[in-house]
Amino acid sequence: MADIEPYESALDAIPGAHPYPRTSRYHDAEIGVHRRPDGTEVRYTKRRLLPPLDDAGHQEAQPHVVGAGERPDLLAQRYFGDPGQWWQIADANPVLDPRELTDEAGRIIGIPTAGGFPQGDRRV
Amino acid sequence: MFDLPVGQGPVHITLLMGPKLARPVPAEVTEALLSAQITATAGERSGFQLAFDLTKNGIISRRLLPEGFFDPKTRLIVTVSVRGTAAVLFDGLVVRQEVGASNRPGHSTLTVTGEDLTLLMDLEERTARYPNLPPSERALAILRRYSDYGIRPDVYTEKVAQPPHQDLRVHYQTGTDLQYVTELARANGYTFYLEPGPNPGQSSARWGPEVRLGIRQHALNVNMDAQSTVDQLTFAYDGTAREEPQARWQDPGTRQSTLLPQPPISPLRPPLGRRPTPALKRKTLSGTAKQQREQAEAELLARAAVSADVVSGSGSLDVNRHGYILQPRQLVGVRGAGRAYDGDYYVKSVTHNLRPGSYQQNFTLSREGLEARSDYVRP
Repeated sequence: MADIEPYESALDAIPGAHPYPRTSRYHDAEIGVHRRPDGTEVRYTKRRLLPPLDDAGHQEAQPHVVGAGERPDLLAQRYFGDPGQWWQIADANPVLDPRELTDEAGRIIGIPTAGGFPQGDRRV
Repeated sequence: MFDLPVGQGPVHITLLMGPKLARPVPAEVTEALLSAQITATAGERSGFQLAFDLTKNGIISRRLLPEGFFDPKTRLIVTVSVRGTAAVLFDGLVVRQEVGASNRPGHSTLTVTGEDLTLLMDLEERTARYPNLPPSERALAILRRYSDYGIRPDVYTEKVAQPPHQDLRVHYQTGTDLQYVTELARANGYTFYLEPGPNPGQSSARWGPEVRLGIRQHALNVNMDAQSTVDQLTFAYDGTAREEPQARWQDPGTRQSTLLPQPPISPLRPPLGRRPTPALKRKTLSGTAKQQREQAEAELLARAAVSADVVSGSGSLDVNRHGYILQPRQLVGVRGAGRAYDGDYYVKSVTHNLRPGSYQQNFTLSREGLEARSDYVRP
């Protein structure tokens, strides 16, 4: 249950103060603090975990037949209007290298529905 | 190859409705949506108005409307995704519906109006006593009652600590929960509002200072040819808006009354402009002599801080051109308005106007002085 936070943290924990913008796939990633032997603190982004695959059924995906000469960023521009959002397609079709998505013409990949929310419990 | 022009990404709107637990609406309802208007303001209640096409034999007029799908107190959540990034715009309850039946085919409409979830806190009046609780704990105790609608309290301790004395005074609540929480926030220079999100069905109830620090949103460009994102932007500078409140406090032991010193308002409102406006008016607060000293100091600070915003701006924005949703209750930079009015502003309110093919936002901005403090804004 939430508790009362001190006044000072009201101006620290600012929405939007996360180093990654809302459009980034690292927006959900947790920020860790590493303490060096001499006491200085280094902030780093913790490993980003992919959304669980067996749970992927809750978000219906739209099938897309890969054509020749397509790239993940072109697909993202076409379906989302932003080429930087290719990672959403890569997340929905588990591939190790995003180029695998469109290597093979004729392959059917799933495009996540625009308007869906990412799995992570991100704060605004 | 592409059926969409570059840079005009699709905007997707999703509606969720239901009693307490909202679920995605049937596809026919989404298709019948004609327009949506959503208003979100800092410190006031947010509202929405949705207009649906009411065809004679459609599913809305045949089944959903008689079955109570749009009845009052139905929960409604609106989410919008721009360029693949989703955001919850609104989480509220239906209050009122209007049906306009027309002789001309295709002109019958159903208009649904509603308010955000603070309506729940405004339904029933309550008298309660809060012995030995400071204002923030009183606010938290009230907000905890509403967790079943996914409301998470986001409460901060007050700036001027007010240790309670049960033997001197016991605080009483009369009126609704919302009135009491808002009154407590106002007495401390804080705001109270519900911020929907981050996921549908959740919202956080912020009882604390306005967010006037941190990373700015993407800047609003005006008068910059092809780079402009804002259609128009008007600024007003009201010199009499700022007042200097004065409070006297009487020591109950010695019966001496003293004028409280003017507190610095920058802890509550970090300055955004370089040239703060001097206060032209002086106003004496009434009733502060009888209060506890900390309470009088808090009220003095609150009144000084709230009246400090003298520069206000308003304008409208095309989200397709801007590329991002302008969120209310956060900071944003303005450029292209000239040396006096450029710089960072607090976004006071935003009205979203959605209809098929267009997404416009009307916004109001505010800050306390002219000229930017920094040489650049976040692009």
